[in-house]
Amino acid sequence: MTLGYCLALAFGLFVIGAYGAMTRKNIVGILISIELMLNAANINFVAFAHFHATDSTSGPIFSAFVIAIAACEMAVALAIVVSMFRRHKNLDIDKLRELHG
Amino acid sequence: MSIPLLLPDILLLGLGVMILALDLARVKASLVWNVAWMGLIAVLVVLNLIPAGWDRAWFGGNWNLSNFGLLMREFFILSALVTTLLARSNFVRGEEGFGPMRYKPEFLAALIFVTFGAITVVSSKDLLTLFVGLELATIPLYFLVAWNKENAKASEAATKFVLLGSTSTATMLFGMSYLYGFAGSLRFANIGEAVASSPTSPLLWIAVLFLTAGIGFKLTLFPFHSWAPDVYDGASTPITAFLSVSSKATAISFLIIMVYGPLAAIQVQLQPLLILLSAATMTVGNLGAMKQTRLRRFMAWSSIAQAGYILAALTGPAMSARSSVVFYLFTYAFSNYLVFFIASLVSDRREQTFASLTGLSRQKPWLGAALAIGLFSLAGIPPVAGFVGKFMLFGSAAKAGHFAFLIFVGVNTVIGLYCYLQVLKAGWVDTGEEAQEEANKNLRLSFTEGASITLLTLLVLGAGIAPWLGNNIAAVLQYGP
Repeated sequence: MTLGYCLALAFGLFVIGAYGAMTRKNIVGILISIELMLNAANINFVAFAHFHATDSTSGPIFSAFVIAIAACEMAVALAIVVSMFRRHKNLDIDKLRELHG
Repeated sequence: MSIPLLLPDILLLGLGVMILALDLARVKASLVWNVAWMGLIAVLVVLNLIPAGWDRAWFGGNWNLSNFGLLMREFFILSALVTTLLARSNFVRGEEGFGPMRYKPEFLAALIFVTFGAITVVSSKDLLTLFVGLELATIPLYFLVAWNKENAKASEAATKFVLLGSTSTATMLFGMSYLYGFAGSLRFANIGEAVASSPTSPLLWIAVLFLTAGIGFKLTLFPFHSWAPDVYDGASTPITAFLSVSSKATAISFLIIMVYGPLAAIQVQLQPLLILLSAATMTVGNLGAMKQTRLRRFMAWSSIAQAGYILAALTGPAMSARSSVVFYLFTYAFSNYLVFFIASLVSDRREQTFASLTGLSRQKPWLGAALAIGLFSLAGIPPVAGFVGKFMLFGSAAKAGHFAFLIFVGVNTVIGLYCYLQVLKAGWVDTGEEAQEEANKNLRLSFTEGASITLLTLLVLGAGIAPWLGNNIAAVLQYGP
């Protein structure tokens, strides 16, 4: 295990997440992709704290905060998606076309 | 008289909790609304009793009160207060054909928590506080946009907002993780030292690019602006106004804190990037505003262009950038809220379009005049506040010697003037349908609306005729960081 492997893993996860967030049609799929991006940042924080940092406690603490905040964000996102589903009756992002321009 | 310096922050948090508690105790919603706006005024008064000149930190150095933070606190609380007043009509009569919105106490509490998040951003001394504050200032906005559950457009707008917003949060967080890896610490002081000692490190520049992309979304900078018209159009009028003022001010404070704090050593190298973003953003905003017919969508494009103007000040030195941005944010908030108050007024039963303004100046000359003053201020016509604000913003860029850029900015303000004059033409010149004129004739202003519009008009005029207000802000900021 070196820092390079961890960073490569995190960057790979981030790219997969970003690709998924851009290409997925299903809104739940997009939310899962966003989770991947957030967790890529978490791996970075923990890896830098372990191998590199002068202040090695704040990195893991930051990722604990990120996990909590990501949970809040996803709770709000899912609530909004449920309320959107009641109106539009589908989860396809391309069918949300009332507002454009 | 000396008061504890943290009192306003604690009072604001207490106010939010108290509003939720009053709701649990089944207190009448109109009473809760009164508690909210009186409480916000009380916090504003307490805040004004704190003399300038502090630079202190609490909680292990993570919570900091500086002069910039003090002025931005006043700004955010003022903005929350005006939004509270603006939101009243949405809960009493509804807008654009929808019935009154429900859950007023929760709405007001969410507004106050967003404001507290914005205050956390301007108090931060390390990346973790900054990140938590930014999220607290963003997450409640997602559901505030979706507040009116009967409105299909609102839920569509909120879905787009939450998906793009979370993506941008993840991007910014990824940038923060690289910044932590680069500096080995989360504290701004340590990051600043690391940046000064190795300003060309690739890790640093990757981090800066990710951070810019993340915050560019919140500030509606050029490649990340496309969400704004849809979300602003779908949300209710008070939330649109709040998004365009408070949320944008949070993002610009974030940039000021980063660019003149930890990244101060590479500010000169950042200038080309900022110039590029600023020029592209204002051009796109002005071009987009040209062909709009709906008022909120127009204000979204206008606020994109305004974000470009504000960013122009960040190419200058720290002192002038801070003071001009603070002053411009105040003038921008006054004029923006003035226009939104009138937009909310004409759309009580009708669609909120340019056409619904027709005949406003003939039927209600005072409202027509207020609209003209608000729009002139946004466009930057001399006697009103927006001109003085823009003058200071561009003066900051001129101090760094970017004259070619400033000529480009000047051309852009002229294009912007054309866009604002289109709205003014709808209110003052156009003779549209008889029904719209008739509806404008029957406009009824509640006391809240009348008083708010009068006060905001006076503030826009006053801040323009008395430019020493801007000098005062400069003087306050001169004490320290």
